[in-house]
Amino acid sequence: MLLFRSLLCAIGLAGVVYAKSSKGDSVLVVVEPKQQDNYSIFFNGLREQGYDITFRAPKAETPAVIEFDAPSFAHVILFAPDTKILAKDLTPQSVVDLLSHNTNVIVALSSKQTAISTLAAEFSLVLPPPGSPLMSYFPERTDPATVVPVPVPASHPMLTPNLPPVWFSGVPHSLGNNPLLVPILRAPSESFAAEIDGGSADALVDAAERGGEGLWAGSQLGLVTGFQTLNGARITWVGGVDIFSDEFANKEVVKGLKSGNEQFVRDISAWTFHESMVLRIDETTHHRVNSTTPLEQYTTNDQIVYEARISSYDPKTTTWVPYSGLKDLQLEFTMLDPHIRTALLPVKGQPGKYSVTFRAPDRHGVFKFVINYKRKGLTYLQSSTTVAVVPPRHDGYPRFLSAAWPYYTGAISTSIAFFLFSAIWLAADSRDQKKGKGHKSE
Amino acid sequence: MPEAYPLPSNLSSATVTNTASLLRIVTLALISGAAIASRLFAVINFESIIHEFDPWFNYRATRVLATKGFYEFWNWFDPTAWYPLGRVVGGTVYPGLMATSGVIYNLLHALNLPVDIRNVCVLLAPGFSALTAWATYMFTKEMKDPSAGLLAAAFIGIVPGYISRSVAGSYDNEAIAIFLLMFTFYCWIKALKQGSALFGTVAAVFYFYMVAAWGGYVFITNMIPLHALVLILMGRFSNRLYAAYSSWYAIGTLASMQVPFVGFQPVKTSEHMAALAVFGLLQIVAFAQLVRSHVSSQQFQKLLFIGVVAIGILGAAAFGIMTLKGWIAPWTGRFYSLWDTGYAKKYIPIIASVSEHQPTAWPSFFMDLQFLIFLFPAGVVVCFRQLRDEHLFVIIYAVMASYFAGVMVRLMLTLTPVVCVASAVALSTLLDTYIDPTEPEINDDTVSESGASTASAPAPGANGTSHPTTPKKTKKAVPPPQSTSALGQIIAASRSSNNKPRPKGIFGADTRLMVVFNAMCLLAFFVFHCTWVTSSAYSSPSVVLASTNPDGSQHIIDDFREAYYWLRQNTQEDSVVLSWWDYGYQIAGMADRPTLVDNNTWNNTHIATVGKVMASSEEVAYPILRKHDVQYILVIFGGLLGYSGDDINKFLWMVRIAQGIWPDEVQEPSFFTPRGEYKVDDQASPTMRNSMMYKMSYYRFAELFGGNAATDRVRQQQLPKVGPTLDYVDEAFTSENWIVRIYEVKKEDPLGRDHKSANAFSQGKKRKRTKPAQRRRAIL
Repeated sequence: MLLFRSLLCAIGLAGVVYAKSSKGDSVLVVVEPKQQDNYSIFFNGLREQGYDITFRAPKAETPAVIEFDAPSFAHVILFAPDTKILAKDLTPQSVVDLLSHNTNVIVALSSKQTAISTLAAEFSLVLPPPGSPLMSYFPERTDPATVVPVPVPASHPMLTPNLPPVWFSGVPHSLGNNPLLVPILRAPSESFAAEIDGGSADALVDAAERGGEGLWAGSQLGLVTGFQTLNGARITWVGGVDIFSDEFANKEVVKGLKSGNEQFVRDISAWTFHESMVLRIDETTHHRVNSTTPLEQYTTNDQIVYEARISSYDPKTTTWVPYSGLKDLQLEFTMLDPHIRTALLPVKGQPGKYSVTFRAPDRHGVFKFVINYKRKGLTYLQSSTTVAVVPPRHDGYPRFLSAAWPYYTGAISTSIAFFLFSAIWLAADSRDQKKGKGHKSE
Repeated sequence: MPEAYPLPSNLSSATVTNTASLLRIVTLALISGAAIASRLFAVINFESIIHEFDPWFNYRATRVLATKGFYEFWNWFDPTAWYPLGRVVGGTVYPGLMATSGVIYNLLHALNLPVDIRNVCVLLAPGFSALTAWATYMFTKEMKDPSAGLLAAAFIGIVPGYISRSVAGSYDNEAIAIFLLMFTFYCWIKALKQGSALFGTVAAVFYFYMVAAWGGYVFITNMIPLHALVLILMGRFSNRLYAAYSSWYAIGTLASMQVPFVGFQPVKTSEHMAALAVFGLLQIVAFAQLVRSHVSSQQFQKLLFIGVVAIGILGAAAFGIMTLKGWIAPWTGRFYSLWDTGYAKKYIPIIASVSEHQPTAWPSFFMDLQFLIFLFPAGVVVCFRQLRDEHLFVIIYAVMASYFAGVMVRLMLTLTPVVCVASAVALSTLLDTYIDPTEPEINDDTVSESGASTASAPAPGANGTSHPTTPKKTKKAVPPPQSTSALGQIIAASRSSNNKPRPKGIFGADTRLMVVFNAMCLLAFFVFHCTWVTSSAYSSPSVVLASTNPDGSQHIIDDFREAYYWLRQNTQEDSVVLSWWDYGYQIAGMADRPTLVDNNTWNNTHIATVGKVMASSEEVAYPILRKHDVQYILVIFGGLLGYSGDDINKFLWMVRIAQGIWPDEVQEPSFFTPRGEYKVDDQASPTMRNSMMYKMSYYRFAELFGGNAATDRVRQQQLPKVGPTLDYVDEAFTSENWIVRIYEVKKEDPLGRDHKSANAFSQGKKRKRTKPAQRRRAIL
C-alpha cells in the first residue's frame, strides 16, 4: 500500500503540469465525428491536463450518459449545436438530470433552433429567434461581420488576467434574473443580433421585447455564461462552438497578436470542470468557550465558539489547501429566522480556519448553525448543524438572589418567632393551667 | 316489636362484627378484581398496547424517566417536539403519572421482577381503579355506612364513565387522578369531621400528588374552599373546620408550588384565588370568634361593623390593583369556555376543535352511568335529609360536577364518582329500609314513631349541628329513593297521613321481597350494561382499528402502525414530519421523528401555521414547509375505508384555526360551495380543490377505481374523474387501506425554478413565455 502510494506520488511529481478536476477525469464529448478534428487544440489541452476523453456522435446511443441512474462521466461537452434532435439520452430533460447528478456540462449553441436551445430557457437565458447570430462591423476587418473579436474582461476571477480579445461566432443571449447565472463573456457594445442567417426581422423585434433588453444589441448580451446549480454542478453556455476551434485559436486579432481563444476556453473549461474556484468546508465544530468538546445542546446565554475550516482546490497539485481568503463569510444562528447573524472571520496564523464567538440567544429551541455562502462563480458553501438551546437545568439557576431577601427574612423571622413562642409557651406554663388542661382531656 | 322475618338471635355481637368486617374485606377484594378484570378487554381483544394520543406521550416520557432517572427527566428538553421551538418537558408536564410508573417499575426491578415498562404503563390504570374503588368505599363510609361504601365501590369499579378513561393501555393522567381525587376528598371529610390537623395534612399530601398528576386538581382547589365557604355562611363555623382547612391549605399550597409546571400559579392566577380568599376569611372569622369571647356583645357589634367594612374595602382594593398590575393572571380561555359554551367556538377554535371539549350529549349520560343517573338525585335528596357537614360536600360536589359534565364531555369523569357515591347512598337507604325486618306497631303511637325514625335514618350522626328531622320532612324526602314499584304504596301512605303524623314502615315479607328483587334486577342489568359498554365502546386502542369479516371473525386494520414504522425505518432520524396535531404524540412515540405540532396544544400560532399549510395552495405552502425544515407530510384519509375520523373531516377546524391568525389569507367561507355545503366532489370550491389537504388526500385516488367513478365512503360523494396533481411534494408512502398517506417535500429545484414549471418541463410541456408575442400575432 505504502509502496503504491509513493509510486503514485512519484507519478504525480513527474507529471507536474497536470491539472485535474476535483470531480473526476472522464469527459464525454458529443460531436460529429467529422468535426472532431476542428477542436484538436482544445481537446489536446484537456488530454494534457489529464482528462480522459470519450467521443460520441450526436445520434449514437452509446456510451450512455446515465446508466442505472448513475452518471457514467464526470463531465459532458455538447458540441452538436446544429443537430436538431440528439440521441434519446441527451434530451433537454436528461441534461437537467445530468446536472442534478452533479455532472458538469459545456453546451454550445448555434443560430438554429434545436432541442438544446429550448433548454436555455430553463436556465433563464433568452435566445434570439432562430437565424439571428451576433454581428458587428467594428473594428474594421476583412472577416465577415459575424466573426467578432470580443474583448475579454481584464479581471474576471475565472479568467487569466489581461487576455487578448477572443474570436466569437454564434448567437448572443440575454440573461434573466436568475441569481445562479455567472456571466463570463459579454458581447461588445457595438455588436447586435441580426436576421442574416435566415431569420425574420419581425421575429427579432418581437423577441427584443420579450428579452426585456430593448434591442438585441449592446454589452448586456451574454456570449459565454456559466450557471452553477444549487447542488454544485456547473454548466457553461457558449453562444457558438467556433470559439473552441483551432481556426480561431490560431487566428490573429491584430497583427502579431494571437487571439486569446486557447487560454479562454481552457479557463472556462477549468471553471466548468471544477478546477478553479472550488472551495469546500472541511469541518465545522462548535463548543463552549473554555472547552473543546462539542455539545448536543447549549444553555441559553452560553458563550459559544463556532469554527469552520475551509479549503480550496489546487488543480496544480490536485490537493486541497487551507484557504483564508474569504472576507465576507457569515454565520447565522437560526431558529425559523436568524437570531444571530455575524461575520465569520479568518483566524490569523491558522490558515483555513474561521472562527467566531457569540452569546447564545436568551431563547430556547432548536437552532441551526448555518453557513450559506453563495457568490457568483465560487462553489456554494453550505453547512447546517442543528443543536438545541435549552433553559438552565433546575439546579443551574443562581442559588441566592439578593432580590429574594424579603422572603429569606420572612422565613427566618417566622422560624425564630415560632421557636421563641414555643419556648415562652412552655416556660410560662404554670401548674394550675396544666391541671386545668388535664381535667379537660379527661 | 314485630318482625317481618326472623333473625338469628344466638349470635354474639362480636361475631357479627367480625363476620361483617371479613365480608367487607372479601367484597372489596372481589370488587377490585372485577374493576381490574373488566378493564382488560382491551388487552384481550387487541394486545398490550398504549392507546390513543396523549398516552403515547406519557409513555414516551415514562421511558425517559425509567431509563435516565428522575433528574434527567426533570431537566428534559425535547428538541423533537414543536420543531423548531422545542418543548421544556420537565417544566410543562404533570409528572405524577410518570413518577408513579417509574417508582413501580423500579420497585419491581428491585424485587427482581423484570417487567417491561410498557406493561407497567398499560396496567397502571386498571391497578389504580382498584384503589379508586377502595377510596370511594372510604369516602362513602363517611357519608353513610360501610354497606353504602361497598355499593359505591362496586359502582365506581365498573361504571363506564370511569372505565372510559382507565382501560388497560389508557395511560393518561386521569388514570391515577380519580383515585387521588377521591382519597383527597375522603381525607378532607375525615379532617373536617374530627378537626384533625393530621388528616388535613394527609389531604394536603394527596392534594400535592393530585397537583403533580392532573390539571384537574383545580377542581379540588375550588371544591374544598367552596365547601368551607358554604359551611361558614350556614353558620357552621367550628374549630374543626378551621384546623382542617388551614392545615390543608397551607401545606397543600406550599407543596403544590413545588411542581415546576404549577410554580407560582397558586398565588397568582384567578383559579386559585378562591382558596386563598376562603383561607383569609377563615382567619377573620376565627379571629372574630376569639374577640367575641373576650369582649361584650355591644362592643363586638361595633368592632364587627368596622372590621367588615375595612377588610372589605382593603380586599377589594388589593384585588383590583393586583389584577390591574397583572400580578393576578386573568381567567384563561379554557375557564371561560366552562361558563359560556359558545365562547371557545368564537374565540379559541383550538379548544373547541377537541372532541372531548364538546358539550355532552344526553344519551352519553345514560351510556356512561346507566341507572345511576336516575338514582343520583335521590341520593342527593337523602343527603339533604341529614345535612351533616360532609353531606353538604356531596351536595355541592353533585351540583358543580353536574354542571361541568353538561358543558364538557371529558368532565363526565369528575361527575362519575359523586354519582356513584350518591346513588350508593340512595340505594343503600332503600335496601336498609326494606331489608330491615322491623315492622311498625299500629296501636302504640310513640313506639312506632321512634321505630320509624330509626328505620329511615339508620345511621344518625352524633353531630350536634344536624337539625332534628320532623316526620313530615322525612316523608317528603323519602319518595324519590324508593323505586317505581314502591311508589304507589308510598303515595298512598303519605296521602293517608295527611293530617296527623302516623306511624310508618313496611309490613310483610312480600313487599320487601318485591322491592329488593327489583333493586337486584337493576344492579344485574347495570353489570351487564357496564360489561357490554366496556367491551364494545371503550376498549378500542384507536391506534389499531377492528372490523368484522363477513364470517364474523375480527379483522385488524393496522394502518397507523404500518405507516409509523415505515417512517421509523425509511427516513432520516432528524427528518421533520408535519401532520395535524392529533397525531403528534403518536408520531413521536411510534415513529420517533420530530413533529411540528402535537397534542400538547400550547402554541396556537404554530398549530395555525400547520393549518395554513394544509389549507393553502402548494405555492403558498411550500416556502412555509421549507422554512420549517419539513421533510414529510402525513395525512389521514378515510375515504377508501370509511374511517370517519380523517383529516378531511377535521379540515374545517384547521381552516378556522388558521383563519384566526391569518384572516386575510385563509377564509372559511371559500371552502364551501356557493350553496354553503362542504363538498369534495365536482362542486367543491376551487380553494378547496387547490388546498394541500384536498390534494394530498385524493391524489391518485381516482386511479383505484379503474375508470369508474371514485367514491369517498366517508362523505358519500363522487369524486371528479381527474384527480389532483402535485408539484411540490412526492407521494412517499400510502398504507394498506389508504388511511395514512405520507408525502415527501421536494428539495429546491437545482436550477432555481419553481417546482410547477420544473415539473412541466420534465413532463415535456412547452414553456410559456410572457404575453407580448401573442398580442402581436393577434394583430397580424
